[in-house]
Amino acid sequence: MTLWHPSSDQLIEFSSGVGSSAMNIAVSAHLHFCPDCQRQVIEYESVAAVLFEQQAEVAVVDNGFARLMARIESQPPARPIAKRPTPSRFPLVVEKLIAHGTESLRWRKPMKNLRVSQLLTDEQGLILGLHHMKAGCRVPQHTHRGHEISLVIEGGFSDQMGSYGPGAFIHLSTEHHHSPQADADGDCWLLSIVQAPVKLTGPWGWILNPFLTA
Amino acid sequence: MAVSAIRPIRGNIGRVMTQQQIELREHFANQLEKVAADKDTRAFEAIYSHFAPLIKAFGVSSGLSYQGDHLPEELVQEVMLSIWRKADLFDRRKAAPSTWIFTIARNQRIDILRRLRKYQNDLNADDVWDLTSETDLFGEIRDTRIQKNVNKELRNLPMDQKQIVAKVFLEDKSHQEVANELSLPLGTVKSRVRLAMQKLKLTMGVNEL
Repeated sequence: MTLWHPSSDQLIEFSSGVGSSAMNIAVSAHLHFCPDCQRQVIEYESVAAVLFEQQAEVAVVDNGFARLMARIESQPPARPIAKRPTPSRFPLVVEKLIAHGTESLRWRKPMKNLRVSQLLTDEQGLILGLHHMKAGCRVPQHTHRGHEISLVIEGGFSDQMGSYGPGAFIHLSTEHHHSPQADADGDCWLLSIVQAPVKLTGPWGWILNPFLTA
Repeated sequence: MAVSAIRPIRGNIGRVMTQQQIELREHFANQLEKVAADKDTRAFEAIYSHFAPLIKAFGVSSGLSYQGDHLPEELVQEVMLSIWRKADLFDRRKAAPSTWIFTIARNQRIDILRRLRKYQNDLNADDVWDLTSETDLFGEIRDTRIQKNVNKELRNLPMDQKQIVAKVFLEDKSHQEVANELSLPLGTVKSRVRLAMQKLKLTMGVNEL
């Protein structure tokens, strides 16, 4: 189990359904690996449910139930909800995002042994990316702007701060200068969250934000 | 059992209320199972009578009504429709009825807000907030214990903590947005939430160990 987790604030925001799509996808993917954080989310949902039940009620329209039943009766009976397939490889939420497989994504290759693909830009301008480092690949020394996240979804890598395996939810900031190196025994796949592109200067600008259009 | 007979009286405290809540939970777990097994419309109506005004309140406090007067009522309809369709996913060993219904309401609110913001991606809320996860580790006993603790301790929270907790958990506001609204530093909001969680006797987060 990993030592790197979302903060309790992030888990509360996830449990209450608040916050950016990219961040919530990353938290969801982390939960796939982390029973401790899953347990915490379930507790927060219980807290929310108690508060939900204690709300002052707001009267609904008189014909609400009749309308609901009319809607139900006018629709074909719902198909039984299929049990979800066990994810073949990545967390379910990631599998859904890359439904056509990793090779159908649009990749950019900022350096040998590293490729990156932009999965989505969310409503807050955060970019969710997928990074694929070949086994042993070392990325040159660089830093990050505030509140960026990397989440290992397969394999692992190390840097000056530690070693990270599947599920590691790594908070990166301006203090974090590192040159990550993928484990030698296999490729490393990461989800990343970065701010929408701003123009960066310097030779390694693309590492801070690989989604810059050159 | 008539729903009105066991509806808890707000402000009532102590053992009686806890007993009522246990009965209420059993009652709605039974009704959900009837909907799942037989598409029982009387059971469904009992669920509607109790939960629809709460779902509507949740929609109103989430600010949905600012974006359209009809939206809290639309949320009620969408959530109840989901309950009808997904009742067979409800498992009383895993979650209290109120917890399960809250998670559905949360997911529907996310999808409605996204439609309003015209923001789309390939995932809907149920893909990110999975309602079917196989988490047998945390059963009814756990949820019951948490709900009991929270019910009991929530009453003892200082007003400033309770207000913040309610905003953070129900009102579709990030910690930062709550801080802005109350003109408090973000750190103050975070530490009040954290203090409140300690008082509610929740297990501490992995990060806080």
